[in-house]
Amino acid sequence: MRIVKKTYFIVEFVLFYMVKLVQANIYIAFDIVTPKMHTMPDFITLPLKIKSDFGLLLFSNLVSMTPGSLTIDINEEKNCIEIHILYNQNKEKVRTEIEAIQNKINYLIN
Amino acid sequence: MIFIISIFVLLGSAFIFIAALGLLRFDNLYSRMHATTKATSFGILLLIIGIALFFNSGIIWIKSVLVILFIYLTAPLAAHSVAKSYKEKDEKME
Amino acid sequence: MELEPLNIISVIAFILLLSAMLISLYRLISGPTVYDRIVSLDLIASIVMGFILLYSMVVNKALYFDVVIIISLISFIGTISISTYLKTKKQ
Repeated sequence: MRIVKKTYFIVEFVLFYMVKLVQANIYIAFDIVTPKMHTMPDFITLPLKIKSDFGLLLFSNLVSMTPGSLTIDINEEKNCIEIHILYNQNKEKVRTEIEAIQNKINYLIN
Repeated sequence: MIFIISIFVLLGSAFIFIAALGLLRFDNLYSRMHATTKATSFGILLLIIGIALFFNSGIIWIKSVLVILFIYLTAPLAAHSVAKSYKEKDEKME
Repeated sequence: MELEPLNIISVIAFILLLSAMLISLYRLISGPTVYDRIVSLDLIASIVMGFILLYSMVVNKALYFDVVIIISLISFIGTISISTYLKTKKQ
């Protein structure tokens, strides 16, 4: 029963990753091709809830692949992550989106 | 079949071209890295799928899955490393 | 070279990749900092991977796929080593 549940989560996670990937590429291609750029680069810092190293690897890779965000740094105590975002217009939305990814990975690891 | 292969190949090279255009157009290093990290690996992914559909043999499919996994594990890591060293140099200059 | 559909497609893709190569060479020469040059070298390695993939389709030999694996390994290790060197270098 547990194995079935785990497999289901892994499949769902891979599908989620692919959807995010295609979405991110469409966003950035649209932004580059159109003459007027609407990017406002900025940095945000977020607290980390994931403890294991494998989870951190997955999380930073996925954050680098989501639309308009790139992992810059994780501090030494592993409790804070610094992210460069490309669309500063709606900061709260980006924050909640990254929190949702973090909860998903936390659920997957345990 | 040829239609699907040509769509994949053309989209893949178009995404690599878009990444180069982004490298030219953005005005600071972090934004440039957004373009090269995402669009380049997606373009290589589409090109590899097109070529694997063209040859369509078992060993080529296994090799292409391995290359795609490797690229998607390492492209964010390389960007992370460059960004971290750039940030430390920036802090040292101030 | 006769005009089959795949040949036309590969010529268009070669033109796209060649212009991408020229743009990133411009960034490599005129980049303001060393880091821009590292990023554009990474992009050039990816463009070379695309060239070799297309060439393996044109000459119809699957052997060239191994070259792509080697180039992806070497470009990753090169990027990591240059940026680590710049980070630990004494000012």
